Amino acid sequence: MSFFDLKGLLQPLTGIRQFGKKPHTIKLPDLLLNTADRYRGLHHNDLEACIGCGNCSTICQNEAIDMINLENIEHKDGDSGLRPRVDNGRCCWCALCVDVCPTGSLNLTKDYIFTSEDANDFLWIPGVDNPEGNNNLSFTSDTNTSLSMYQRVPMRELDGKERVKSFAEVVLGYSEEEARREAQRCISCGLCTNVCPDHMHIPEYINAIAKGNDADALKIIYDNNPFPEMCGKVCTRRCEEVCAIEVRGEAVAIRWLKRYATETAPTAEKIKEIVNPVIKESNGFKVGIIGAGPAGLTASYYLALRGFDVTIYEAQAHAGGMTMYGIPKYRFPLDSIDKQVDYMKSIGVKIKYNTKVGKDISFEDLYKNNDAIFAGIGFQNAWTLGIENEDIPGSIPAVDYLNIINRGDSYDVGKKVVVIGGGNVAIDGARVSKRYGADVTILYRRRVEDMPADWEEIEGAEDEDIHIATQTIPTRIIKGDDGKVKAIEYLKANMVADDKGGRPRPVAIEGSETILECDTVIGAIGQEADYSWLPESFKDKIEVKRGMMIVVNEFNQTGDHKVFAGGDAVNKTADAISAIADGYAAVIGIENYLVKK
Amino acid sequence: MSNDLVLENEILNLIKSAFNAEGNVIKSRRVEVFVKKDQVSSVLLFAKEQRGYIHLSHSTCIDWIEEGEFELIYSILSPKDKIMLYVKTRIDRDNPVMENLDGIWHQLNTYEREMREMYGIEFPGLIGDKEFCLEDWDEIPPMRRDFDTVEFARKTFYQRPGREDAKDVRKTLTEQSGEKIPDFATKYSRE
Repeated sequence: MSFFDLKGLLQPLTGIRQFGKKPHTIKLPDLLLNTADRYRGLHHNDLEACIGCGNCSTICQNEAIDMINLENIEHKDGDSGLRPRVDNGRCCWCALCVDVCPTGSLNLTKDYIFTSEDANDFLWIPGVDNPEGNNNLSFTSDTNTSLSMYQRVPMRELDGKERVKSFAEVVLGYSEEEARREAQRCISCGLCTNVCPDHMHIPEYINAIAKGNDADALKIIYDNNPFPEMCGKVCTRRCEEVCAIEVRGEAVAIRWLKRYATETAPTAEKIKEIVNPVIKESNGFKVGIIGAGPAGLTASYYLALRGFDVTIYEAQAHAGGMTMYGIPKYRFPLDSIDKQVDYMKSIGVKIKYNTKVGKDISFEDLYKNNDAIFAGIGFQNAWTLGIENEDIPGSIPAVDYLNIINRGDSYDVGKKVVVIGGGNVAIDGARVSKRYGADVTILYRRRVEDMPADWEEIEGAEDEDIHIATQTIPTRIIKGDDGKVKAIEYLKANMVADDKGGRPRPVAIEGSETILECDTVIGAIGQEADYSWLPESFKDKIEVKRGMMIVVNEFNQTGDHKVFAGGDAVNKTADAISAIADGYAAVIGIENYLVKK
Repeated sequence: MSNDLVLENEILNLIKSAFNAEGNVIKSRRVEVFVKKDQVSSVLLFAKEQRGYIHLSHSTCIDWIEEGEFELIYSILSPKDKIMLYVKTRIDRDNPVMENLDGIWHQLNTYEREMREMYGIEFPGLIGDKEFCLEDWDEIPPMRRDFDTVEFARKTFYQRPGREDAKDVRKTLTEQSGEKIPDFATKYSRE
């Protein structure tokens, strides 16, 4: 090797030929490589879709998520009004919060770069602090693979063809295993409790069932509902409409789980053994209750527990009110009512049957002989249809028809029946007629999706081959030569959008008169209360406003402070659970009025 | 690809008859066998030396806490048959000892060290530092299901100030509605 290495000197210069070529490396920050498809970056929350259930906060193993109030977000039915805030100093981006988010509002984005000199900046409100994150979602949840379970454990029922043969109960109830499985779907947020008129402790009793403690579940249920088997079978269950799981799946079967818990106590004695209620010593006050419906029974039960001497005056031969005489036995069997009423009697509630206030006993006497009165009179009188020939034989209001059947008498509906209305009472009338072998058509003014009846009832009717003729307005009943119902005439209707923003209303199509032959017309368009029991002398204090509702305060106290009222005649919702809530509220009111005054 | 699962059933039946084991064809190219703890080395050696399952893909553990057992899974692959065979065994959770099998595949050494640290399973004779991923760990092994992650996070990481306005959802809802949860029921409320 010579001292002067020419090759070694010149060879590096060959690198110059690379000059001007495009580099293989990427230029920052213009060209960042894309993250993986399911990359778990910073959170984003869709504040509109979020319902504040707090499931994200509960599952977080790092306690990195708080639920907080935000400006401009108020609580409403099905929304707690709270929203998640993430401490990114604690978060490990495991994404469990995203996986269990029932609405799918919480997601992780592709963004993973965030810098700040102030450590407190790492406390983030997803969706507020990064509104643009919505366009950059990466890790989202999927209801098929989520740890949350979106499919309801199906309820076993009698087959449609089988059940129209008898009044056997259609719904068969959950087995123990099914109930545990269904109860485990509940995320215990409690959104349901806010829309329950009675504010039952739903997450608590469902959790007790999930953990295998049915007795505790029953005790929790009886804390503010003494008629739970009825609710477990026929409640209108607004709770399920706001269930967090309902947003992307099937709501937890709250009603069926309550039913399961109540069925673990098959007799009145067993209920008493499990609930083991504390009955206070007599406080010397007497309370008279008008009507043994859900409102009257609830007031009686909790008053009796609190040491009041309680007597119910019931016009009919059986307790239960509309749940006894209005609801068909295939939905709510007689022995189920008896069991619950027997239990109430066993703790001291007295019931005088066949005693109609205003007829068999005067309201004045009741008023004189008691320290307080609770009126749970219900809606007994049907609204009339207001069409020609409504009063001829063969035309009967649904409440009267159901009353006849439920008290064990018979009524011949003939071969073809038309039921008018779209509520649960209409469906009940139709399904009962079907059980007597009739061919049944329901005429309803609006569309199926507008029907106020429970969707399971509508499906039940359809399964039993009941025809629902929607957008039909009855105009007259046609009388046959024998003076009885021969047919019904109706007009077809178009749905017209309401200018004031209400739901679309039906408008009759001129010249669309259609005649449908039938033997019986059952009207079920609503009921109202009967106030014939209330003497004139009380009417200046006990106010009955338009729509035949009694005016009460928050404790269900009327203008006459000794008289309380509840149930259909008081609340607008006119369902059993509202009646129970009224009865319970009145108990607090009566106690405040008599004991704590 | 044939759909009649001939190769899958062949390896399954061989192991079932030779080792008196249970097992299933999960789906195409996926076979699982359940064997006794002391048969695992024989099954792995048989599959590796005689049936071409020369590649160890993975080994892991499942904590069946309700049944008082750990399940160990050895996933081995035959490149020729293109079948993944899962050899599964259960060991006592209260006395979690498993034979050290890193003599069959040396890669198992890493998996066994991980399982020793994360589940507390002992592999007698296993060579390697006791500390694998964790440093100065004095809790119960963290992948055991009775390890309370929330409690650990609570005592290990301090709570940043400024989070005191956090609300409990269930309690907020009761304040909105006026619901009164009886004391005996609160143990079923969400924490």
